[in-house]
Amino acid sequence: MTIDELSASLADAHRDRTPVTIVGGDTLRGMGRPPLADAIPLSVRGLDAIVEDAPADLTIAVQGGVTLRALAQTLARHGTQVPFDAPLPGEATVGGTLAAGWLGPRRHLYGRPRDVAIGSTIVLADGTVARAGGMVVKNVSGYDMSRLYIGSFGTLGVLARINLKTIAAPERTRLFAIRLPEHTRARAFAVLASLRVVPAAAWWVQGYKAQIDGDDGAEGRMLVFLECSDAVLEGATRELRSALGRAGVPETRVIDTGTRESFERAIDAYVANVGERSITYRMHGFVDEAEARALGAIALARQFELRADTIVDAMNGDVILRVSDLDARALGAKIEMFDDALHDLAPSAFVIAGAHPSRALLQVWGAAPAALERMRALKARFDPHGILNPGRFVGGL
Amino acid sequence: MLHERLIDALGADAVKTAPEDLAVYAFDAYTTGRLPAAVVLPRSTQEVSAAVRIARDCGEPIVPRGAGTGLCGGAVPTEGGVVISFARMNRVLAFDPARRRARVQPGLINLDLSRHVAASGLFYAPDPSSQKISTIGGNVATNAGGPHCLSYGTTVNHVLGLEVVDERGDVFHTDVDELGYDLTAALVGSEGTLGIVTAAWVRLMRVPEAVRVWLATFPDVESASDAVSAIVAAGIVPTALEMMDRIAAQAVEAAFHAGYPTDCGAVLLIENAGFEDDMNACESALARIARERGATSWRTARTQAERDALWAGRKGAAGAMGRISPNYYLQDVCVRRSTLPKALHAVDEIARTYGITVANVFHAGDGNLHPMLCYDKRDRTQVQAVIESGNEILRAAIALGGTVSGEHGIGFEKREAMTEVYSTADLATMARVRDVFDPARALNPEKIFPSGAACPEVKPQRP
Ligand SMILES: C[C@@H](O)C(=O)O
Repeated sequence: MTIDELSASLADAHRDRTPVTIVGGDTLRGMGRPPLADAIPLSVRGLDAIVEDAPADLTIAVQGGVTLRALAQTLARHGTQVPFDAPLPGEATVGGTLAAGWLGPRRHLYGRPRDVAIGSTIVLADGTVARAGGMVVKNVSGYDMSRLYIGSFGTLGVLARINLKTIAAPERTRLFAIRLPEHTRARAFAVLASLRVVPAAAWWVQGYKAQIDGDDGAEGRMLVFLECSDAVLEGATRELRSALGRAGVPETRVIDTGTRESFERAIDAYVANVGERSITYRMHGFVDEAEARALGAIALARQFELRADTIVDAMNGDVILRVSDLDARALGAKIEMFDDALHDLAPSAFVIAGAHPSRALLQVWGAAPAALERMRALKARFDPHGILNPGRFVGGL
Repeated sequence: MLHERLIDALGADAVKTAPEDLAVYAFDAYTTGRLPAAVVLPRSTQEVSAAVRIARDCGEPIVPRGAGTGLCGGAVPTEGGVVISFARMNRVLAFDPARRRARVQPGLINLDLSRHVAASGLFYAPDPSSQKISTIGGNVATNAGGPHCLSYGTTVNHVLGLEVVDERGDVFHTDVDELGYDLTAALVGSEGTLGIVTAAWVRLMRVPEAVRVWLATFPDVESASDAVSAIVAAGIVPTALEMMDRIAAQAVEAAFHAGYPTDCGAVLLIENAGFEDDMNACESALARIARERGATSWRTARTQAERDALWAGRKGAAGAMGRISPNYYLQDVCVRRSTLPKALHAVDEIARTYGITVANVFHAGDGNLHPMLCYDKRDRTQVQAVIESGNEILRAAIALGGTVSGEHGIGFEKREAMTEVYSTADLATMARVRDVFDPARALNPEKIFPSGAACPEVKPQRP
């Protein structure tokens, strides 16, 4: 596929008022309201060219259909990376990851995906091809359109190309697998925030046995990833160990092999379904409230006699909650009521995974944003016939 | 009518109407616009709303203004209108050290924010050279940069949410953590054309444990730029990587005695902040590249006082130019970092062609050039030469895949150049955003978008 072909397809759809569903790697198919039955799928997987690899500038331009794996492999040759940290990188596309507004666990350290976007080419609903920004790392020339498209769930246009700032890959990565008895949890969380060498990622995990390393015991576990230079690693390791020791944590095991793979598996777990009998929510908020947010959600799941697996991002405050039941029917019987109750507790909880048919009946986006009316006006100006992913995004955008 | 209504709503002490009081608002730090019809100095968001409503009723456009340190007319009226000055909305509204965030009013001076939070071991990262006087609101409007944005990112990376007064005087809020469109990002850098920011949540950063500052001297600007390109190509992004040529260093030394060598062609000011354990390796990697690219000396600033003096000199560089030239025009372009040697060569050629003295002080690590073209405004041929060479520098930057502003913005001064980087479709797409937020083009008109028949500014497409 070429950008011109994409433009022609959209122009036709716009003229005929045919709704289209934009599809990338389909790895986040559990996000958003389901496509309308009569919507035509429009895959951007064919836009898979690395347009310009510019290692000497620490930038790269790729088409929207390039997979995260292909991007990472290209960058690895130069010792650089783009820290998107989205699930299933072998299939996930750059365009889809950005459109979905995916936020990874290393963003407290390296910034959000939108913060490394320096330029873009968008194809609008009417087929208009428009560029914004460029290949320079600082640019104040009109509105920051690229960031506006990121996180817009493909409802303003289709990201055909995106230009990115890259960063050096760390010299060393180290994984710590930590048993986390309940009485140590709060202190362990507090310790992480004040470490000299801030971990690249830190998760408190309960369940997810099939996906995420480490042994729970009965109480949960913590995984901490350090990314730093060789010179810093040993000192940072000692500090982490002694700080966690002071917090009462019994055991901190170092894993130096397969660290990257463990890290990726943990992120894959965010959207891992248990057949058709699970639904996964994501809840954002302050780090210091994350533990309480997770415990509240777990307690609620228990009330509904649902199994709860959780991942709590101790550096950013995200809570991933996967509720499941013995079979799809059992889940179906409770999930709508659970969904209501969860949104009473955490109004902005949104669904990121789940193959259960009832997913369509849930409040998949949680609370609408404060400025929804303006967003609607923007949508109307960019896609007046509402052909792009109609009704799928928050607030019906 | 306009004056009376503004005075009724805001009080006489918050409204300026006398021509002699209005005069200063027709200027920024470089450009000259027209006198506004009135200037208001609101104390609250409600007063901003009231001023906007009255201005709109009276058919007057609105021009928001911070400290007026801009160089391209972003805060200057071009057709009368009501200037909203944020001089009285300059407070830190909330500071949450544990969550490392603060809510501030737009008139707060950039450096005052870092001072306010310093005792908690925090700082606000964007540090435009004007930070002693420029305001957070102005910084948000231009997505301001600064030397340390090389590693920390520009203003947009540090804004977590905004309170905004729209073109009808209504208030809305944005929050980067909410789902939906990233209106925060759209507003940052929009130069007051999409709404008037009346409060911002900003992210604060932890003061790093170790900081080193080094100076490397080079025989000429080309070899220094070559070193910068090589540093970036090696994947090294120090916290700041600034360049000063001989003329600039001489001006800075005359004004500040900051410690810059004045007998070399160019000097690099390099800062790395982070872990003590990393510093030696970082220094040897940087120094090796510098030497390979022809550095004639390498020196470490040993004390905090030495470092502070170097930074004070760097940030005062533009102001120091007054010592060597009656007037100067400061251009702001950004190119790919690998093309820095070519870009500086082009600047040099252009200056030679037009017989103009040029001094360079800039954010080399970002590829963000600031050639300062010296002239005497009483000499019409010099003025003409500066205008033409300024435009040629823009064109040269564009030819190298660069852009027409790295961090100062477009304002009215550079709006025609927008057509040289963007197609009509690109600009019309941006104008769709404007259509939604400011359909009547009442907010800071004649900024960013080019004039001319094909221009979306002139023929707004209503939603
Ligand atoms: C002019 C201003 O941007 C500086 O870099 O000093």
